[in-house]
Amino acid sequence: MNDELIRFQQEKKSIEKQVIIGSALSLLSVILFIALINYGPWGLILLVPGVIYMALGASKFKKLSNKFKHEVLAEVITKFVDEGVFEPSRGLSLNTVYATEFLKRADRYHVEDYLSGKIDGVDFVSSDVKLEERHVEHTKNGTRTYYVAYFLGRIFEFEFNKKFDGYLQVLEGARPHSKRKYKKVKLESIDFNKKFKTYTTNEHSAFYVLTPHLMESLMAFEKNNKGKIYFSFIDTKLYLGINNFKDTFELKMFRELNESSFEEFKRELYVIKDVVTELKLNNNIFKKE
Amino acid sequence: MDPIFVVIIIVVVLIVFPLLWYIGVMNSLRQMEVKINEAESGIDVALTKRFDVLTKIVNTVKGYAKHEAETFENVTKWRAGLPKTLSLQEKQEFMGKMDAVQSGINIAVEAYPELKAEKLFSNLQASISDVEEHLQAARRLYNSNVSRINTVIVTFPRSIVAGMIHMEKKEFFEADTSKREDVEISF
Repeated sequence: MNDELIRFQQEKKSIEKQVIIGSALSLLSVILFIALINYGPWGLILLVPGVIYMALGASKFKKLSNKFKHEVLAEVITKFVDEGVFEPSRGLSLNTVYATEFLKRADRYHVEDYLSGKIDGVDFVSSDVKLEERHVEHTKNGTRTYYVAYFLGRIFEFEFNKKFDGYLQVLEGARPHSKRKYKKVKLESIDFNKKFKTYTTNEHSAFYVLTPHLMESLMAFEKNNKGKIYFSFIDTKLYLGINNFKDTFELKMFRELNESSFEEFKRELYVIKDVVTELKLNNNIFKKE
Repeated sequence: MDPIFVVIIIVVVLIVFPLLWYIGVMNSLRQMEVKINEAESGIDVALTKRFDVLTKIVNTVKGYAKHEAETFENVTKWRAGLPKTLSLQEKQEFMGKMDAVQSGINIAVEAYPELKAEKLFSNLQASISDVEEHLQAARRLYNSNVSRINTVIVTFPRSIVAGMIHMEKKEFFEADTSKREDVEISF
């Protein structure tokens, strides 16, 4: 693995160099343009090659990142996850994303890094999801349309081991987006109620699913993971959303690729393992045949 | 300002607003009381389910542990089911007794390992775990509702309304461990 990382780091470094040179040429061109403004637009002569060189570098970087996912991460994932499937170019379907019932409809979306498999016998699927809302601004100069991301992170769908009536959502600073008649419910733990808002269509089910142990596990999970955390328990599924404004499994430009940064990729997989073991999803004693 | 208008404002401030507030608090207390009753019937359902599954388990265990049959008579005397007129205190006692029978069964299982291997028994054990989780959920929901209404009853100024409608603090549903001693389990 070490040799492979070194190979990718070298390739990455040469692409970064190209991006730096392209940026420097573009900057120099702008400076020359300002300095030689009285002599015409000659200063801009370096701008076009500079931008092209930089854009080529960025495109190469994207390709390298994809190659890294296919050649390095896919191997790690298949070792870590039973029946693991990792497809960087696709993601969860929009139906699955909205089935979580904690995300509002997006005006623009992007999904990638699909990952599915089994951990401790528990089926899961997940992917990176980016959801954006369209904003329209009317100014003196006309109308400006722009998009603002309100969710950028990972969505997971797990098999849930308890059957219960109704629907349940445990959300950090959010509310359900569904036509179901969700009602806010307060549980016994003051800390839990402070951290999460619990919505359910059946109060008994909320108390049935959210045992004191599970509440503690959800709190511990929230503590260990940055960003806003959303859980929803719908039919036989547990949906988990981590809105951390992070693009998972991506190589970072100008950040060295070494064992420690590689560990961060692995940590994304430990999150899945954490959910399964901490939330005891691998315990099937409550599942009726 | 017109004196009649001033009088109307005073009447609204002194009578209508407090009256509306009184009605609002009274209604919310009544609604909370209904919630408590609903939660209590949830406990009844869970207790009955637990009783049913426990009876089946006892019958299965009897086949293996004939000597213990007498001990399980504590369960069979409730065979008619959970009486509807039971008070909360009696329900707590009932739950305590079932806890004791459950502990007895667990000890019997340790003594007869072949019991664990029996499919019917392991299915029933899975059922009882689920039923117990439901009972715990019903108990926690009930106690959570009781905690909410009790907070209103003791908090000024809503405590005034609670006093006026003679609403008293509600009792929590707790497993009465002392009552478990009523059932003697000796193996």
